[in-house]
Amino acid sequence: MDSGFYAACTGLIARTESLETIANNLANSSTTAFRARHNVFSSVLASAHTSGLSVLNQDANDYGVLGGQRLDETQGALQPTSNPLDMAIEGSGYFAVQLKSGATAYTRAGNFTVSRDRQLVTAGGDPVLGENGAPITIVGQPVSVSADGTISANGAIAGKLKVVEFAPNAQLQNSGTSYYTAPAGSAKTATNSNVRQGMLESSNVNPVTSVVELITAQRDVESMRRVLTMFNSEIDKTAAQDLPHVS
Amino acid sequence: MFRALYTAASGMTAQQLNLDNIANNLANASTAGFQQRRVQFSDLLYQNEIMPGSAATQQTTVAAGLQIGLGVRPGATEVIQTQGAPSATGNSYDIAIQGAGFFQILLPNGQTGYTRSGSFHPDSQGQLVTADGNPLQPAITVPADASSVTIGSDGTVSVITSSSSQAQQVGNIQTAMFQNPGGLNSVGNNIFMSTTASGDPVVGTPGGSDGLGSLQQGMLEQSNVSVVDQFVQMILAQRSYESNSRVVKAGDEMLQQLNQLAQ
Repeated sequence: MDSGFYAACTGLIARTESLETIANNLANSSTTAFRARHNVFSSVLASAHTSGLSVLNQDANDYGVLGGQRLDETQGALQPTSNPLDMAIEGSGYFAVQLKSGATAYTRAGNFTVSRDRQLVTAGGDPVLGENGAPITIVGQPVSVSADGTISANGAIAGKLKVVEFAPNAQLQNSGTSYYTAPAGSAKTATNSNVRQGMLESSNVNPVTSVVELITAQRDVESMRRVLTMFNSEIDKTAAQDLPHVS
Repeated sequence: MFRALYTAASGMTAQQLNLDNIANNLANASTAGFQQRRVQFSDLLYQNEIMPGSAATQQTTVAAGLQIGLGVRPGATEVIQTQGAPSATGNSYDIAIQGAGFFQILLPNGQTGYTRSGSFHPDSQGQLVTADGNPLQPAITVPADASSVTIGSDGTVSVITSSSSQAQQVGNIQTAMFQNPGGLNSVGNNIFMSTTASGDPVVGTPGGSDGLGSLQQGMLEQSNVSVVDQFVQMILAQRSYESNSRVVKAGDEMLQQLNQLAQ
């Protein structure tokens, strides 16, 4: 059977899947410190012959699939909010957050508040961890935060934020509500990150890139469809209807 | 099938709510003591198609996984606690709080409400009440023959009456502070109620060492809504709504292409 037909079919599926990532990026263009994900297409050699294929055969069988995504690590714009409990990270660092399960998650969304029991918590209500691995308790106002993450409340030092950085190839995983999880041991104490008080990092979704990705996906689907129609209407029809007439 | 349409719809719903909130902030730009709210968004769950770090072969692992995000959800509307500009009114019953704190108001249902709108009036008995007639707590009663009323920065209310030239104290205004004022519940008429998120109120003397702001007589705190900022937010919300609807259209057209396959 025509391998090109399946190649176009695989490409069509990959493009429709890629739209979902683009949609998620655009839906989160107002989410604090959201980081865009970009689709990475890769080729899969469908018939992995051990003997090796001819160049022509290999091209026809190299199907394009959605192989994965790349987390866009560019810095989002810092927006001043004049709220003392809003914090943004300048640099590649993340705040550490303690989840209800006891596990540690990482986030760049610094829209913090102080909970009823006076702990510094994220918008989701999970305690933000200090350098010593324990939540930070804030009693009194005003609250000021220095660039290295030291928090003082009412003139006394309340604690120092735990800010961590990851190696460029770290396998960060989105877990929703602006949190990321990382493999154990991959978090290193930040050296190139500064905490900015009264600022929030906006989403790093680039509307231009997103719309270009959107149009590309849309037009790719169109061309794959044409290829499929071509197989259907021209080649297969010709083979099925016209060939038997040859006498 | 086709999660993209639902993802884009979640983005459109979120921006709609954002605009609702901006509209309310702008509508209250001239409300004394109004504190603007901000919608906080967070991303929804992710579907893991390929886990990052899963084995690609026996020797290697997948560097970047394939995670499909399912859109956005508005998480909270947080009260922004910045100081509104005080404007001089010359009215001796107008009080602005310079710094943190709320006036305590006794509501008709017996509960205590909290407000930063310090526009008070004496009622028929001389008791200080809000524009809605709810009394200030603790109660302050100004004698009928008072010729002048002075409210100190620490909340001390003293009057000079026509019968005596000596100033006499008639009460102390106390204010309340919350550990997390962003978690207060707005119930309208400039009144906030305490919640488990805000914590219990800490009542004290204004202008003291316990962090409560000082009082300023003859001043009224204007709303802390920055009209320019809200306009910028409005433009962003509008454009973001537009790009999400563009995704819906793209998804629709892709489906159309697929349908044409089966001709």
